[in-house]
Amino acid sequence: MIQALFIALSAFGLFMALGTVFARNLVHAALYLVAFFFVVACQFVLLEAEFMAAIQVLIYIGAVAVLLMFGIMLTRNITGDETTIVTGQWRLLGIGVAGAVMIVLFLGINGFKPWTDLGVRPEFPVTAESTTPRGQAILAMTPTVGREMMTRYVVPFELAGLLLTAALVGAVVLAQYDRTDETSAAAESPQP
Amino acid sequence: MSQQIPLTWFLYFASAAFAIGLMGVLMRRNAIGVLMAIEIMLNAANINFIAFWRYGDAPAGEGPLTGVMMALFVVTIAAAEVAVGVGLILLCYRRWRVADVDEFDTLSG
Amino acid sequence: MSSGLILKDFLIFSPVIILTIWGLLSLILDLTVLANADSDTRNRGLGMFTLLGLVGSLVLCQYLAFDVIGPAPGKDSRIFSGTLNGGLLYSQFASLVLLFAILVCCLSMVWSFTTHWGEYYAMLMWSAISMIILVAAEDLLTLFLSLETMTICLYLMTAMEKSKRRSAEAGLKYFVYGSVSSALFLFGLSLVYGQTGSTSIESIGHVLSTTEKPGLTGNVAGGVAVLLIMVGFGFKISAVPFHQWAPDAYEGAPAPVAAWLASGSKLASLVAMVKVMGGALGTWAVTSSPTSPGWVGLMAMISAATMTYGNFTALGQTNLKRLLAYSSIAHAGYMLIGVIAVGISERREEAAAALFFYLVIYGLTTIAGFALATWIDRDRGSEAVDNLNGLGRKHPYIGVAVCILMLSMIGIPPTAGFFGKLYMFMEALNVGGADRVTMIGLVALGLFNSVVSAFYYIRILKAMFLRDSDQANLRGLGPELALPLFVGSALTLLFGLRPAALLEDMEQISMSGLTFAQKADDQMSASAAITPVVLPVRQLPISIPTETKPATPATGN
Repeated sequence: MIQALFIALSAFGLFMALGTVFARNLVHAALYLVAFFFVVACQFVLLEAEFMAAIQVLIYIGAVAVLLMFGIMLTRNITGDETTIVTGQWRLLGIGVAGAVMIVLFLGINGFKPWTDLGVRPEFPVTAESTTPRGQAILAMTPTVGREMMTRYVVPFELAGLLLTAALVGAVVLAQYDRTDETSAAAESPQP
Repeated sequence: MSQQIPLTWFLYFASAAFAIGLMGVLMRRNAIGVLMAIEIMLNAANINFIAFWRYGDAPAGEGPLTGVMMALFVVTIAAAEVAVGVGLILLCYRRWRVADVDEFDTLSG
Repeated sequence: MSSGLILKDFLIFSPVIILTIWGLLSLILDLTVLANADSDTRNRGLGMFTLLGLVGSLVLCQYLAFDVIGPAPGKDSRIFSGTLNGGLLYSQFASLVLLFAILVCCLSMVWSFTTHWGEYYAMLMWSAISMIILVAAEDLLTLFLSLETMTICLYLMTAMEKSKRRSAEAGLKYFVYGSVSSALFLFGLSLVYGQTGSTSIESIGHVLSTTEKPGLTGNVAGGVAVLLIMVGFGFKISAVPFHQWAPDAYEGAPAPVAAWLASGSKLASLVAMVKVMGGALGTWAVTSSPTSPGWVGLMAMISAATMTYGNFTALGQTNLKRLLAYSSIAHAGYMLIGVIAVGISERREEAAAALFFYLVIYGLTTIAGFALATWIDRDRGSEAVDNLNGLGRKHPYIGVAVCILMLSMIGIPPTAGFFGKLYMFMEALNVGGADRVTMIGLVALGLFNSVVSAFYYIRILKAMFLRDSDQANLRGLGPELALPLFVGSALTLLFGLRPAALLEDMEQISMSGLTFAQKADDQMSASAAITPVVLPVRQLPISIPTETKPATPATGN
């Protein structure tokens, strides 16, 4: 039952990913991408990482997809036509490379015994008497994430804050319109 | 219930998504299209991280959430990357009036 | 279980924390005190402010290195529950990154190429911070996060010259290539995590060296992981075939930013690469059977392609920044020889020290080279090499300085570039076992490439000394340009005359800071026992005029 659900979900997700790559109209591509993000969130739920699923929906669908949509709208290239995707030989090359990568990865997964043996995931029973850290982490992920961020991962946590600040400040600088901006295409002569 | 899905299934899904993202990177000419394909690849890696975390053991001394923390920070990075990417694309768009990577031609390269 | 936070960790980490806040302060200053000033004044003011912060952090780092950290080999010097190195590796490389940042900051004050000075200097400081954390990272999470923070700051700095189209184009190209490579890199990391169950560099190395199969035999997933990780690092250090962004980004970026890309980011990425490839994945390096060549074979091919392509393409360049970009690609090729040596040598620590020596010298000469580009960029508005015509005779001091730099880049004694190449190639020749032939071939190719590189470096000197200038004089250097140029060349000469001092420092760093899997070493010495070929090199406090180059004797003590 759950396996059938997984297969249906995964097939849908991969189909959406293909749509993102092949759609001529970029708005459609972004909508496919949203569906793909949602499938990934569902996969996280199947992996008992509900906190990550929530983060996935909030950040990817709520922020990243909206940002991408803004980018598409502001560059007006939405109709796309032939220009958003390569044609002919290049398309074959892309499909070929991706297919080869996928086959090699599948072979790698099949050939690595510790992974193929893991048909059943380990259980971490949480009872009143005994709780393992892992069981606790799965059962109540949010407080555990918070604790980890404030102890072991405190430097990455602060660095992530710095990264977001830098990205915000930088994006504002880039997108801001200056008087010194050079907007017309012919203003700068090509370099010698 | 969900114990019946083997680890490899998640890995297959992630690999396939990764390959599709790579295909998008190779095939898209539009910079925002490339950005979307990159997001697919990052998501594929995140599925790997969480699947390995759920099915594997927690190593000693590294806390119970290694893979999840990694995925969490990757989400942060992806958000920052998209913000900067869209900013850069807008900057270039104002100068060239196109958003296709191979239309930018000032630099001989 | 993770222990709690320790106050001393924050003390050791204080230079980074102070610099982070300094970056925020520069944003605030730009918007308050300097809100109505013109661009030049803001550039000066904020540049001096940044310089103050960088120098302060540098002094603090050195103080910590001597007083708090201390040279304590053997002791576990890791801080923050083992996610960061807090020992000599951290403090010395932090000082180096800060030194490079100081020189780049000086270059940035030369002329006003942007109007967003608060943001520019904040990015400079924040990218320096991420480089420091990248160098110190002992955990793949910290490593990946700092790598990304660094590159995102660098994309922004590249695109900040908003009055020029090529700057925006360079930023976008750099961004697209960089983010694709980091996605590939991340997938590789996820596969490594899956095979080892850990993100700590030390435990990954431990797990891989204790599994029964040596090397990559039959492990396709591991091979893919290595490949993807190498693609990621290859992009960051601009190795062929992942180099396409580098010439464009270097040419399009303002010259100070290009200097920063070529020095700081390459230094940090290579140190991280040594840690990951040598420390964590060292077991996968060796050729264990004909069907599983390990990563050495692939890396050797990349290295050979990188130096050959870089040098031969540089021959045809007329733009100084582009020339320096190709030269930096070629140098990445030489450095990869050092990385391979770290991966398979028995003397990994010494090999790493030789590589670090080369990196330091390379960074200093490159910044000084870009100072030259900044100069003609400011006064002539173009970076063609012809703009240097006759400058050597008009400004003899500058001529001498540039002469030292170019000799060092070629690798001619008595400059430090010679000793960098010498030490690194010696360590490469020291490798025993199955990959010995590869290393000899690589070193031979490296020497051949050094000869080729002489042609384009000497072209710069020829322009400066032998040609007559047909254009108006350049303005004088000014202190901002003179400092990087003369500090770079003076240190290059100094370390060329006394290389042992720097080398010993680097050896201390790599002895105390790098962790290599132990069992891999045992395998290595076992394989070396079969072919006991160990060259009698390296009691060098430098007296040996060796077989690699016609060295002049009596360089130094």
